[in-house]
Amino acid sequence: MRYGTTTALAGVALTVDAGERVAVLGPSGAGKSTLLAVANGSVTATAGRVEVLGTDPSGLHGRALRQLRARVGTVHQHLELVGQLRVVHNVNAGRLAEWPWWRSAWSLARPQGLPEALEALTRVDLADRAFERTDRLSGGQRQRVAVARLLVQRPELVLADEPASALDPALADRTLGLLAEVATTAGGALVASLHDPALALRHCTRVVGLVEGRVVLDAPTARLTAADLADFYGAPR
Amino acid sequence: MTAVVDRPLVQPRLRRDRTRWAWGLGAVAVVVWSLAGAGLFSGDVANTAGTAQFGRFASAALSPELDGEFLGVLASSVLITVAYAALGAALAVVLGALGAVAVARTTWGPRRLRWTLTRGLLAVPRGLHEAVWGLLLVNVLGLDPWVGVLAIGIPYGAVTAKVFADLLDEVPRTAYSALRAAGAGPVPAALYGLLPPASGGLLSYSFYRLECAIRSAVVLGLIGAGGLGYQLSLSFSSLRWPQVWSCIYALSALCVLAVVAGRAVRLRVASPPSAGGRLRRDPLLTGAVLVTLALVVWSWWYLAISPATLVSDRTGVQLSYVLHAAWPPDAEGSFLREVGSAAVDTVQMSVIAIAVATVGAVLLAGVAAHPAGAVPGGRRLTGTVVRFALLILRAVPPPVWALVLLFVLRPGILPGALALGVYTLGVLGRLAAEATEELDPRPRAALAALGAGPVGGWLYGVLPAATGPVLGFALYRWEVAIRDTVLVGLLGAGGLGALLASRIARFDWGAVTTVLVALVLLTAAVDLISARARQAVR
Repeated sequence: MRYGTTTALAGVALTVDAGERVAVLGPSGAGKSTLLAVANGSVTATAGRVEVLGTDPSGLHGRALRQLRARVGTVHQHLELVGQLRVVHNVNAGRLAEWPWWRSAWSLARPQGLPEALEALTRVDLADRAFERTDRLSGGQRQRVAVARLLVQRPELVLADEPASALDPALADRTLGLLAEVATTAGGALVASLHDPALALRHCTRVVGLVEGRVVLDAPTARLTAADLADFYGAPR
Repeated sequence: MTAVVDRPLVQPRLRRDRTRWAWGLGAVAVVVWSLAGAGLFSGDVANTAGTAQFGRFASAALSPELDGEFLGVLASSVLITVAYAALGAALAVVLGALGAVAVARTTWGPRRLRWTLTRGLLAVPRGLHEAVWGLLLVNVLGLDPWVGVLAIGIPYGAVTAKVFADLLDEVPRTAYSALRAAGAGPVPAALYGLLPPASGGLLSYSFYRLECAIRSAVVLGLIGAGGLGYQLSLSFSSLRWPQVWSCIYALSALCVLAVVAGRAVRLRVASPPSAGGRLRRDPLLTGAVLVTLALVVWSWWYLAISPATLVSDRTGVQLSYVLHAAWPPDAEGSFLREVGSAAVDTVQMSVIAIAVATVGAVLLAGVAAHPAGAVPGGRRLTGTVVRFALLILRAVPPPVWALVLLFVLRPGILPGALALGVYTLGVLGRLAAEATEELDPRPRAALAALGAGPVGGWLYGVLPAATGPVLGFALYRWEVAIRDTVLVGLLGAGGLGALLASRIARFDWGAVTTVLVALVLLTAAVDLISARARQAVR
């Protein structure tokens, strides 16, 4: 994968099977975000082959592409929520692929699917803020809104870019647990980029280390210790 | 790991923002009232007999008059328009600089009352449209090029004075106070401590005024001052559509040129290149200033303006006659009722115009915005066509649109309102498109990544973020539209403008005073309401 003259990813051969929970570790600029963007189809690989849930997204258009994308849920690094919308609408945005356009429009006036949205917000401890404007929330609260969006989307493949970066340790634990649960319930997989090796060891079944766009580590969590991962962060760039 | 205590879920309530709802419902009510006033619900507003003529007008768009002789005429009228604009803007900047000193907070210090009074005085010249100034001045100066120059210079000067004063007042006081504390007099302290930080803004705004002056010069042409506007109205009244379209294209080109040049200057002022340690002037800015100064001198010569007219005996006699006749204002009950109903018409026209323009702008903004990243060729072509159409809409003055609409609509306030509406759509469409381009694209991209369709993505990713800025622009344009309504009215579309034109034609100066007072009060009221509403939607 290249952006202009910068090669963000090179020689990544990675297969994630259903049921796996993969932590992607690596220093900033290693290509973690690009790897996730390729997987959710928002960027197209300049070389090589990508297959998501059995389909190559670059070959799809229109409705077929949207249907594939609905099965992939992403928690973005910068959250990408709409600040001017109330929290409940940002959560319901997870169902835009499923709803016809008129229901999406009507929902902005009278929130649709309120029980599901509230249940999702309850699970991230934000039910009392459901009708607040999203930009009035703190960074950590917004992160939980993004997770709630994923809970109503119920995707098979969950991609999370630094989902725990703005959270205190207890909440980070719970959030990763929720993301893993979403993936497991739908019989799919979780791929999360993380900075904290301890979280990776606790919640994931496999750890992939990226440095300068290359996979330098790929091992099941069972065979790794916190010390191994600390070494990895010290790997020469 | 901490156990999470299960709290009973208290269903939160959906609380609506009362102020916003009140403004929203009020706006809907006013729009419905205006549409009813325009006769949309009560009668036949379309004039089907004129569709053929409209078709001939529209089809001439593709075959503008390119005959050499006509192009020569067109070129000289472009020069006249440019000359009026340059002189008018130059006068405005001079008046503005003088006036800014008079209305800046710095000048008055703690004397708030006097400051408020001088500021209030400026609202009078600002509240009257350039065309109104033109009509009044023609009666004092006769047919003289000064009419056009003063008609632009006086109202623009008042606006410029206000903006210059604000720019000066916004400069942090510390440097100025330090100089004063060190013993510098007020003028040197202002030269060293206030002017340098404000100079970029002052220059930018001056060039912005020059851009606006071109449009105003065209409008003054429509009421007889010569130039492109005059040529346009001549071709229009002789039903020569190819010529009309040549004028429209020339107008659009002139507007684009003014906007592009103005934007280049403003961008340079906003982010100047590093001088690299040498004492060197910015070539682009120096060039722009020198060219403009040369343009002003040339305009003076080209329009053959003589200061003698301003101080001639005839002017003095005429001025004192008009001023005497204008006082006291006509306050007879029946006339006041006429003014009242004309004011209602004016408000309704401006409201319909803004409603039409806002709806159109919201629908077109997405298409008119420059797309980020690669898009299919069809989308690119649509975007270019829409942007060009918006350009034409705003390049042509609203009275011309009113004449075009009179082919297909019955006379009344509707054609005037729609004419203003399509013109404002041209302006608002561009502003809305720019607002869309400035939005953070990531939320929408995130929605697309989870499979949202184009409508869903727009509703959840673009609309909520764009509503505030677009409504803000729309309310601001309402202030402009109420002034332009007067212009459309002057040329016959009804409302206060039409009333004013008829009283001036009868030399009924007492009545003219009454209408002018009503106009200034109305524009001030609209400014106030719009400012309040903008706070509510922010």
